[in-house]
Amino acid sequence: MLQLILGQLLNGIIVGSLYGIIALGVTLTFGLTGIVNFALGAFMMLGAYGTWYLYDVAHLPYPLAVVGAVLGVSAVGYVSDMLLFRFTRGNLVNGLLVSIGLISVFEALVLSAFTTTPKDLTYVLPGAFQVAGMFLPKIKLVVCAVFLVIIFGTYLALTRTWLGRAAFAYAQNPEAATLMGIRTERLQTIVVVYSTALAGLGGGLYASMYSIEPTIGTAYILKAVEAAILAGVGSVIGALGGGIILGVSENIGSVFFPSAFRDAYGLVFLIGILLVRPSGLFGDRL
Amino acid sequence: MRFAILGGLLVALVAPWFITSDSVLAIAIYGFMSAALAVSFNLIFGFTGQLSMFHAASFGVSAYVVTILVTSYGWNFWLAIPCALLLVVVLALFVGTICFRFKLKEFYFAVVTMAFSEVLRLITLNWNSVTNGSLGITVVDKPSLWTPWGSLTFSSGISWYYVTLVLLVVVYIVCQRVLASWIGQCLAAIRLNDLLGETLGIDVFKYKLISFAIGSALAGLVGAFYGFYAGFVEPHYLSIPLGLDIVAMVLLGGVNSLIGPVIGALMLTALPHVIELSAEFRIALYGAILIFVILVMPKGIMGLITSRKNAA
Amino acid sequence: MKIWKKACAIAVVAGAAAFAGQAASAQETVKIGQIEALTGATATYGWMSAQGTKVAVEEINAKGGFKVGDKTYKLQLLQVDTRGEPREATVQFRKMMEENVHFVFGPFLTNVFNAIEPIANQNNGKFLLFAGATSAHHALGKPDHDYLMRAWNWDAGPSGFGKLMVDYLKKLNTKKVAMLFQNDAFGKTAVDIYAALFKDAGIELQVELFEPGTKDFSASLAKLASGKPDFLFPGYSDAVLYDIVRQSTESGFGNRFFLVRGSIGPALKNKDSIVDYIAYVPKYFEDAEKKEPKTKAFVESYKAIMKRDFPYDQAPLCSSACYDHVYMLVEAMQKAGTVSDVAKIRATLMDMTYDGMWKIKYDKTGETVFGFDVVHVRKGGAIEVVQFDPTK
Repeated sequence: MLQLILGQLLNGIIVGSLYGIIALGVTLTFGLTGIVNFALGAFMMLGAYGTWYLYDVAHLPYPLAVVGAVLGVSAVGYVSDMLLFRFTRGNLVNGLLVSIGLISVFEALVLSAFTTTPKDLTYVLPGAFQVAGMFLPKIKLVVCAVFLVIIFGTYLALTRTWLGRAAFAYAQNPEAATLMGIRTERLQTIVVVYSTALAGLGGGLYASMYSIEPTIGTAYILKAVEAAILAGVGSVIGALGGGIILGVSENIGSVFFPSAFRDAYGLVFLIGILLVRPSGLFGDRL
Repeated sequence: MRFAILGGLLVALVAPWFITSDSVLAIAIYGFMSAALAVSFNLIFGFTGQLSMFHAASFGVSAYVVTILVTSYGWNFWLAIPCALLLVVVLALFVGTICFRFKLKEFYFAVVTMAFSEVLRLITLNWNSVTNGSLGITVVDKPSLWTPWGSLTFSSGISWYYVTLVLLVVVYIVCQRVLASWIGQCLAAIRLNDLLGETLGIDVFKYKLISFAIGSALAGLVGAFYGFYAGFVEPHYLSIPLGLDIVAMVLLGGVNSLIGPVIGALMLTALPHVIELSAEFRIALYGAILIFVILVMPKGIMGLITSRKNAA
Repeated sequence: MKIWKKACAIAVVAGAAAFAGQAASAQETVKIGQIEALTGATATYGWMSAQGTKVAVEEINAKGGFKVGDKTYKLQLLQVDTRGEPREATVQFRKMMEENVHFVFGPFLTNVFNAIEPIANQNNGKFLLFAGATSAHHALGKPDHDYLMRAWNWDAGPSGFGKLMVDYLKKLNTKKVAMLFQNDAFGKTAVDIYAALFKDAGIELQVELFEPGTKDFSASLAKLASGKPDFLFPGYSDAVLYDIVRQSTESGFGNRFFLVRGSIGPALKNKDSIVDYIAYVPKYFEDAEKKEPKTKAFVESYKAIMKRDFPYDQAPLCSSACYDHVYMLVEAMQKAGTVSDVAKIRATLMDMTYDGMWKIKYDKTGETVFGFDVVHVRKGGAIEVVQFDPTK
């Protein structure tokens, strides 16, 4: 029993780090542009399909395929920002609806190109480590490690670099930041594109763990938004924390209670935390 | 404006004489019910400024309660409705009290209401003994109404057309009355600025709650009829996509108007059936229209019309 | 404002006219409708099935149509996408009925079938519905259901494949099976059917349901594995099978699988880590293509018409059942000497045995019986195919 719980605790952390990387995009975009980019789920799906295409069809090495997919997704993200998101800054509802419209467009494009049949990547790193009677799939550990590195890297970049501090300053107080000479528009574009790149990376690595379909983004963006809210919007490490809390509560919850209620375990947690701390677990901190 | 709305109503009243097709009638009926949902949602969203994701839940819970009371317990349809509405109001008060007491900001409010709505959906989905789980419940009964000329059963498309039209008008008038009253004034103040409202001596909490409860109850009223027309209730009634569809209808029609959501709902309901395209492109087109509307006419169709009028 | 209202009214009327207008078209065509989910999360079955129908229709039309009496007819295929949404389906189905479509294929989805059933009942006698949905089984033979045929083998019953499959498990000395299924309309139906079958066979059954769209099954698998089942009986579509088989074998939760809907793709992909993988497959195409000329022709035709590779893993699920059913229907029309007398065509269908890629006939309730393969994949990818032919 202990093994079962410990195993699911670890799995929850791994799954949670995937929620976390998308949640980080949600949090950053929301902090700087005031919109919740629901399309990040669709960007993740694009990243997954891009990786699949480059790796399984064009036969590039896996890391290169992921990098290629991330670059491709960022380019799409940049174009979307220039054409669409730029006009919804600060308007939550419009941003929400535009991103939902974008999801339909992306899904339809992928559907017509690759059909609804699921794709399953050739295994990148099969097998599992066996520790104390528990099996830990190698690929999941690697993916989790990459996510952690990226999230902590983002944290360092935000606190240690000029651009990062500018972004943080802007999220704290837009007017003051503009007065200090921060070029707001460019900053916002950078953050929007970076968020899509994170989603693309999430998707690229996702594809090495699970099979992919055009609809995979929906479930993950909801989790990511929950994670971001749970943590408190605006917190980088919190996004990871929120993701992990969700992942763990779902996995552990499913062990003790019916897994049909899986999604509810995280939600109950979310409601509970918001009632105690209305601005999220990690508040308005970085 | 009022003249135009009455004209539209008149057109709607005589339209069945010209509609021979059952499927067009069905689209109109679903359109009216969606419109009623959108109008009631706009009371909470457009006129109070609260992005509620609980609307589909109110709708679905009521549909289930009425269906279960009628099919499993043999209740009369008209008696089941007040019961369902009572439950919806209690739920709305519960969720609303929590959200408004803690002064959740707009997006937090959306996510927390969504969370409650999802929990309710999961309960509906998994409470097999009562709700028949994922299979939902087939509704064979049709409600009937006692009239001096005998009992009138709502079975034909035409009868449902008028029932749902009346439903829409009722919901519309209730919202209009609420907005025209003192409550409406308070809501307007709250929408513009919470804090300002408070300094003016408005009990912000109370009025938000009133708006949320009335809007949800009206959604419940639509839900009560919906299952009986469609012939089935299923857990998807409480789903997030339905909630988002309602938001899209309201935005397409125009947020700051009562009639806007009606137009938006009718258009979005008819759209998939008017354009004959392959499946993939239909989805893409839906998305493209949504993006276009938001970016090109952010105040919706009604916003466009009023600005034209002012310019002329 | 007035102008807008008028415009809306005109649009509605024009829309109505457009719907009505489509009813009148060339007389020399026979309309075939198909109502399936072609997009969305539940689309795999409908999408494959729609392609099978399309291949058959295009083949028949390319040959110049078919003769009934001294008239030559072509087929006109009307395919709609329900997206798995019952409400959409009810409107689309009404539209088909208005367009006097006499033959409708689909739906495969149980919730969609339940939604259109009342409307279909009202149109009883005017058309035939070839539904794949499991819930259609219980509607067969009810009053007002003369339109209903079920175009898919039934799981239970004397010639049911599910029962044969469970017997097969029994022979392998199975004591306990763990079922991990989608918590949706079909999932629930499947649990009901198989709970009874396993009980009759004296095999213990453990059930866990998951929310459709789930990708990480680790928790459910771990929980089921702690009950030490002999076989895992996972979900009904490839979208989840690939994930379940991989996660289960990779994390040591189980390596013996048993399934009744889904392809053997997941087994071949994980061939070194599975021990047993037993699947009901209407046809094992990789093998059949080499032996049966009709199957080979279908594969070639599919590639030419769809202009894409042949989906060996998905094809057996249903596309081909629909492909054959179109030919069977045409043959029935020719034998009955009519393209519109649906009662006569139904009676002909019930009497005949069609010999296409499959041998197909209808049992006395109007449910398809056709031959199928049980494919047993063993560690390393060795495949053993057992063919069953309940039509004999």
